[in-house]
Amino acid sequence: MKTHKMPERDYTMFEADLSGSALNVKLLRRLLNWLKPYKSELVLSSVLVLVASTLQVLLPIIISLVAIDHIIRGESDADTPDFGLIELNTYLAQHSGLPPLMIACLLYAVIQIAWAFTGHAHRISLSRAVINGLRDLRLDLFTHLETRPSSFYDRVAVGRVMTRVTNDVEALYELLRGLGSLIGEFVPFFVALTVMLAIDAQLTLLLLLGLPILTAATYYFRRITRHLFRQVRQTLSALNQNLQENLAGLQVVQLSDRQDFNLNRYTQLNTKNRNFELRSARVETLYGAFNDSLAHMAIGCIIWYGASHVSTLSMTLGEVILFTQFIGMLFHPIVVLGEQTNILFRAMASGERIFQAIDWDEKIHEPGQALALPKRLRGEVKFEHLNFAYDVGAPVLQDVTFTIHAGEKLAIVGPTGSGKSTLIRLLSRFYDFSNGQIFLDGIDLNHLHSHDLRRRVGVVMQDFHIFSGSIYDNIALGNPAITRQRAIDAASTVNAHHFISALPEGYDTELTERGQNLSQGQRQLLAFARVLAADPEILVLDEATANIDTETELLIQDALTQLTKDRTSILIAHRLQTIQEADRVLVLSQGRIEEIGTHDDLLGAGGLYSTLHSLQFQDKLPESTTNQEHQLDAQE
Amino acid sequence: MFASIWRLRHFTRPYQKQLYFGVGAFGVARFFESMVPFLTAAAINQMTNGDYDVMWPVLGIIGAVIMRYTVVTTARFAVRKVGLSVAFDLRQRLYSSLQNQGAEFFSQHSIGDMMTRAIADISLIQRLISMGTILLVILVYASLFGFAFMIYFSPLLTLLLLPPMPFIFWYARYSSRQMGVASKRVQDQLSELGTQVQENLSGIRTIQAMVQETREIRRFAQTNQAYADAFYLQDRINSAMTAWMPSLAAICSLTILSYGGYLVLNGEMPLGNFVAFFMFVSMVVQPFRVAGFIVNLVQRAAVASDRLFEVIELDPEIADTPSGRTPSVLSGEITINHLTYCYPNSTQKVLDDLNLHIKPGQTVAIMGRVGAGKTTFLKLLVRLLDDKSQSVIIDGCNIQDYPLAQIRAQIALVPQDPFLFGEPLKDNLTYDDPNRALEAIWNAATSADLQHTIEQFPDQLDTLVGERGVTLSGGQKQRATLARGLIRHAPVLILDDCFSAVDTQTEEHILSELKRLRRTQTTLLVSHRVSTARHAHRIIVLQDGKIMESGTHDDLVAANGYYAELERVQREGAENQNFEQARSAQ
Repeated sequence: MKTHKMPERDYTMFEADLSGSALNVKLLRRLLNWLKPYKSELVLSSVLVLVASTLQVLLPIIISLVAIDHIIRGESDADTPDFGLIELNTYLAQHSGLPPLMIACLLYAVIQIAWAFTGHAHRISLSRAVINGLRDLRLDLFTHLETRPSSFYDRVAVGRVMTRVTNDVEALYELLRGLGSLIGEFVPFFVALTVMLAIDAQLTLLLLLGLPILTAATYYFRRITRHLFRQVRQTLSALNQNLQENLAGLQVVQLSDRQDFNLNRYTQLNTKNRNFELRSARVETLYGAFNDSLAHMAIGCIIWYGASHVSTLSMTLGEVILFTQFIGMLFHPIVVLGEQTNILFRAMASGERIFQAIDWDEKIHEPGQALALPKRLRGEVKFEHLNFAYDVGAPVLQDVTFTIHAGEKLAIVGPTGSGKSTLIRLLSRFYDFSNGQIFLDGIDLNHLHSHDLRRRVGVVMQDFHIFSGSIYDNIALGNPAITRQRAIDAASTVNAHHFISALPEGYDTELTERGQNLSQGQRQLLAFARVLAADPEILVLDEATANIDTETELLIQDALTQLTKDRTSILIAHRLQTIQEADRVLVLSQGRIEEIGTHDDLLGAGGLYSTLHSLQFQDKLPESTTNQEHQLDAQE
Repeated sequence: MFASIWRLRHFTRPYQKQLYFGVGAFGVARFFESMVPFLTAAAINQMTNGDYDVMWPVLGIIGAVIMRYTVVTTARFAVRKVGLSVAFDLRQRLYSSLQNQGAEFFSQHSIGDMMTRAIADISLIQRLISMGTILLVILVYASLFGFAFMIYFSPLLTLLLLPPMPFIFWYARYSSRQMGVASKRVQDQLSELGTQVQENLSGIRTIQAMVQETREIRRFAQTNQAYADAFYLQDRINSAMTAWMPSLAAICSLTILSYGGYLVLNGEMPLGNFVAFFMFVSMVVQPFRVAGFIVNLVQRAAVASDRLFEVIELDPEIADTPSGRTPSVLSGEITINHLTYCYPNSTQKVLDDLNLHIKPGQTVAIMGRVGAGKTTFLKLLVRLLDDKSQSVIIDGCNIQDYPLAQIRAQIALVPQDPFLFGEPLKDNLTYDDPNRALEAIWNAATSADLQHTIEQFPDQLDTLVGERGVTLSGGQKQRATLARGLIRHAPVLILDDCFSAVDTQTEEHILSELKRLRRTQTTLLVSHRVSTARHAHRIIVLQDGKIMESGTHDDLVAANGYYAELERVQREGAENQNFEQARSAQ
């Protein structure tokens, strides 16, 4: 017999709270794979940003070099890169006869508009590429998660997995957009720097000295605030949690007269939060005005330096003014860089979480060459020496062998943890098993594709899932063969038609998440209708234990009779009536078959079943029975 | 709208001085900031006149920058501090106010709604004060100082700059409104997406069992696309604003360049002033960018303020009106005279002319269908609901005449819904009085058959329960809340259907403990089980708010009414039920 060994997996990865991570180039490169299909947008965007940045630099040049130096003061430095604007201006003025100042205005207007357009085009093409790339990533991630097996979802919290699709992809978006805005800052930075270096390298280098100061200030600010912000967030969430819990248990609070005590505790939390808020506000205000001030200081330096150079004619006045206009372009990128680092680190952690999920290759083993099932099965199910364990060393099913005949109704009973649910999960191939076999009409389940199998085995679980959509959608589940009439017929057979018709929009009533607008009993009936409409050859049902009012209870019992009529049915029974209506009863205990037979046979046999059964008749339990019951307890 | 904001003055009053100081200081800071273009102009003018000794203007600039930095950081901090302090006070007030609300309030407001007020609304008001004030002040001062200096330089050129200003302002508002709509759509789509994922993963077994993966993935792809579209739209609006705001402002630059340049060429304006004009215009226009944001913030904060005051100004739902003439220890005698109760905003009588006398030390079981009025009746006994008709008499005095705290301390109600706080088990059991002796805790736990459960936990009584700790089963929770009630040894103990999740055996144990502990004290218990009720001195059956049957077990069985029917059904159905318990007994 071939065995596919289950690898040991570390599910704790899904619980770990990665809050920050180092720069991970491999991860970034991997992320870029998703952007590849949108390469043309990215290339376009890169070209546009270069054009836009140049245009951005031209605007102050028109004012300083063209208007002030050339037109007003009539002096210009031939070595200064003016991108041919002076010449263009002169040329246009001569040929149009308009005053040069007017031409300068026109140039200014044209360049401004061109800058606006190219900048906008750059940003939206970048945004399009990033949004589409991440949309694809999100879909890939979801597809991957949607097809992970039950064994995966047994171990990880849905909330944790969910945030990978929402928040974590969101963080990647922030990251990519951040990188985009850095490009938008640094490209003009370098264009401006080139111009400045050409005008006066010494002054430019002097001004660049401001950058380390700004970088250091930004770095320290980020370092201090990262810690403070975390404290602020933590204290705030503690505060809110306290309030939430207090409100949830308000009745108990009032009955225990704890209002003052609790207010006191809340005040402490509130104070703690405010103190952290104040500290971070202090740091933020100090840093917030710092870079403006540094830029203003630099203006002072430029004038100081410029004055002496203008006097010796090594600089023009327009060039000095140009420097003051470029100063913002020089300093701003550092500030933006500071803003982006935290995002970058957060996004790295998010990226790790996403890829960790995408790389999670746990899946159900499917046969290489799946056998095709006949059009209609007889419905005989045979378990042979089936052994199963979720965890090594903790057997859940041991040597389970039995046969359910075609059309037979089998009730499975046994204490909690005896392996009932596992049995039906294996029948639907939710887990891989290799030790033992299950046959469906003589075909080994492991030779079937799980999808083919599941179409033939209708499962009604306790935690019944409602899909978003109408009632009809929920019955038909996208199967075109299930017409509206067939859905209504199915619903009528299982007594669901009555309540569905009473809903405002009947079968078109939209159901919300988890079906909160239906009662427990109604959901159960709807689940029955869904299974009946699909008409599977085998029915598997985990009977709901929830308290349901007597009237609905009767409807459900009746529906169950309809549902199991002429159908091989395996029922995990929690109600006596269900057991009594079954053809045979299988008693499981500790993963082993304890007894199997008809209700009456088993009662007569005086085994575990009769013990379970006899508990109810006496008001006072005989000593022996109680012991027996304790034994049952101990088993769990 | 402004009335709503104005209401907040009660909360800003204690910090008024600081707020005024901050607003004033911003003016000073803006003056220093304006000195930078002004002195730059002066320096350039000097240079055009051939005077290259610019030491004074440069020292002036440096001095102004230092002064501005000092003043503006102080001012910003002062204003932010006011915002934080107001938020602190609002939270305190909201908390105190909510603590005294009851069933009536929470029937109309969900906890989630209250949390939104506590989190989002308070944060909006904090931002209105901290950020909104600063931005508004900047906007006003920047325009004020910017225009003042420009007028000083050239009134006519300044006048020419005015026409585009309203457009810039209007465009800023328009785009930020658009942004608001777009970002709301992004949020909505994101939450839709989140819901869909959550829903899918929670129901993954059903989806896979029904082979619905492909269909669900296709459905997700649609939501995913809608989200991407919303996001793209938001980016586009954002980018357009980034592109067109400077373009509109450039109209001002063009005016300066053309007319200002003309003036300079004609020698009517010094070059330095011309340069300073560009700097002042950018100083004036830049804050416009946030104009829309401020308007938006004020609007939202106004709504937030209304929502907060709606709760903050509420009176306690149940008034504490002690007469001072009531006994300090209850004997446990309860008299109900013609008690009729309707829930607020309803005319349906939940209790209809109820009459009952319970003697001290009696155990009374209350039975009846869901909606018969059982829980309402019990809540009236501890004033979780208030009976205005003065029909509830405890020890001969009206229940409203007792101090509220005394009623709730001496009439211990164990509610139907077993609620435990996310705290150690010990703190949960001694919730009313954290100073209780350890022995008392164990005794109560033993009576509630909880001691084995506790002993199983490694941390015993210090075990943290709830989401962050150990999750207890329904039965364990019920027993824990029961212990919390038993520990109080109150003259009256009320158990509202507290055994529904415990098995019959445990119930038997607890009932015998109750009998032992509360021989001389009054006990009321609601149950659906005949086995629970049968031992009571008296059983009453409520139906539609009226007492339909009353008497001992034997009386009622003989009466052949609802109780007798229930007894028969449960005796026969017990088969099933007990079977289940045997199955699930843990």
